[in-house]
Formats: sequence, C-alpha cells, structure tokens
Amino acid sequence: MKKLLLLSILIVILAAFFASAHPDGLEKVAEHLGFMDKGIERSSLMTDYSVSLVPYEGISTALAGIIGVFICLGLFWGAGLLLKKT
Amino acid sequence: MHIPDGFLDPKISIGMLGAAVAVLAYSMAKVKESVTALAPQEAFAAVGKGVKNLAGQSRRILTKFGEQKIYKMGMVAALVFAAQMFNFPIAYGTSGHLIGGVLAVVLLGPFAGVLVIAAVLVVQALFFADGGLLVMGANIINMAFFGALLPYYIYAGLKRFIPEWLSIGAAAWCSVVMAALAASFEIGLSGTFALGAVLSSMLKVHIVIGIAEAAITVALVYMFRKLFGAKEKV
Repeated sequence: MKKLLLLSILIVILAAFFASAHPDGLEKVAEHLGFMDKGIERSSLMTDYSVSLVPYEGISTALAGIIGVFICLGLFWGAGLLLKKT
Repeated sequence: MHIPDGFLDPKISIGMLGAAVAVLAYSMAKVKESVTALAPQEAFAAVGKGVKNLAGQSRRILTKFGEQKIYKMGMVAALVFAAQMFNFPIAYGTSGHLIGGVLAVVLLGPFAGVLVIAAVLVVQALFFADGGLLVMGANIINMAFFGALLPYYIYAGLKRFIPEWLSIGAAAWCSVVMAALAASFEIGLSGTFALGAVLSSMLKVHIVIGIAEAAITVALVYMFRKLFGAKEKV
C-alpha cells in the first residue's frame, strides 16, 4: 500500500512540473466554438490546483496535489473506520 | 472533461443531479452489501441483548474483506486523482487527462469503482474548483456512469473473447468517447451551442484522448496489481 501511495505522490509531483498547460478537450472545444465565456469561474480552497501561500508555481501545484491525494485516501479510510466502529 | 457551472441549463443540471444521486445510492447499497455481513445473532445474545429484540432489524457488520476493500478504494481514489492531474499534450494545442473510470472498475468492480470516481469528482469540485457545483450531477453521470459503470460491462464482455489487456484498453477508449458524447448532449440540449457542432468537435478530440486513456489505463492496472500485492482478490 505504501508503494501505491508513493506512486500517486510521484505522479502528482511529475504532473506539477511536466503536465501540459494547454486546455483540455472540453475547454478547447468551448474556446473553439466560442462558448467558453459562459462558464462561471469559481474559486475554492486550492483553485487551479495551487496553494496560494506558496509562491512557486510547481511546488504549489505539487503541494495541492499531495493534499488532494490524502483527501481522497482519507475519505474512504475514514468511512472504513466509521463502519468498523458501528 | 469537467463541465464548469454555466455551461448547462439549470433544468438539465438538476435532472442530472437526480440521476447521479440514484446511481450513487444504488452503488452505495451494492457496495455496503459486499463489504458487510449479517451479524450472527449469537454475537448479540452473548453481549446480553435479547435475540427477540433484534427481530426485524438484522445488523450488518464490516467484514475483514470489506475493510480491505475500502482501503483499496481509497488507494484507487488517490491514484485516479493523481493521474487526472497529469494533462498530456495531444495535437492542436490541446491536452487531455485520464478519467480513470475503467481503471477504477477493473480494479474494484463496477459499483465500488463508480463510488471512487464520484468521490474524486466531488473532491475536485469542492476543494479545487475543478468542475462546477450545480453541474456536479452531470459530471458524475458523464465520468462515473458513462465513463466507468457502463464500460465495465464492455470490459467484462470483451474479456471472454480477447486478452484482458486488450479489453481494458477497448473499454477505456469507449469510456472517454461515451463520456464526451454525454457531455456534448448535455451542452447541446442546454442550448449553449448547436448540438451538432459540439458533438462533432468533442468526438474529434476525444477519439484521440481515448487512445491515451487506453494506454495509461492498461499500464496503471498492471502497476496497481503488482504494487497492491497479495491482496489482489479484494
């Protein structure tokens, strides 16, 4: 399990530095056809996968990603613990 | 392929939200059934509770298998979240990223897989503003239902005739195309843009992205099985 967690974290770090910044399929289509502006920009705790406290873009994205990995993991492991108790 | 708020008509968004809740409730019931077992009534009698009091209320408890399964779901969720962050370039200044739906259902089975993809989508929308809130139901239907649950049956069906890796790849490609079609219909029927134009543009791009989805899914399935080790049957 540890190795799998490390794999996820490794992917996140690689993504933070090497992922393509181009729009994804849907965004590209929306831009191309001209309805991108109908989308409502929202902000959240870690908008655009970045932690605003960290000024370096790559590190900020990596950190946000690692937090996200642990949120996903925690969601299910927390549910598991709850189910175990009852 | 995360639809932001504003792309869809509220009526369609709400309808999709209802559909998503139905799919998730059913999946959750299915998963709960598989990770728990009926508690033997003697166990309650032993702690002083009269068996008579239990009439009609059968208690279910988490099994050892169930516990492992839930841990595995967490690992798959983490991996799908991570992999979705990795946008890879495809032609014409466009990128794509994994949906991971087939990855999840091949590793976990259809219903646990659906829950994992939905959980990842909810986390992305709530914490990262990736994908809208009102349209969350549409995103769950696109990527968890059309991108995971349905392609599971493509995978399971094909596996009987062709090698497993090939059926994983084929299901993964179909998952992206089906999710793209679903998103196109939602956008088109919302009157955001002409359905035909959205359909053809979305198809063109996602036929290519699907090839990457297939390759990455096959690689990650085998990597996951190898790293997860002996508990593979979970």
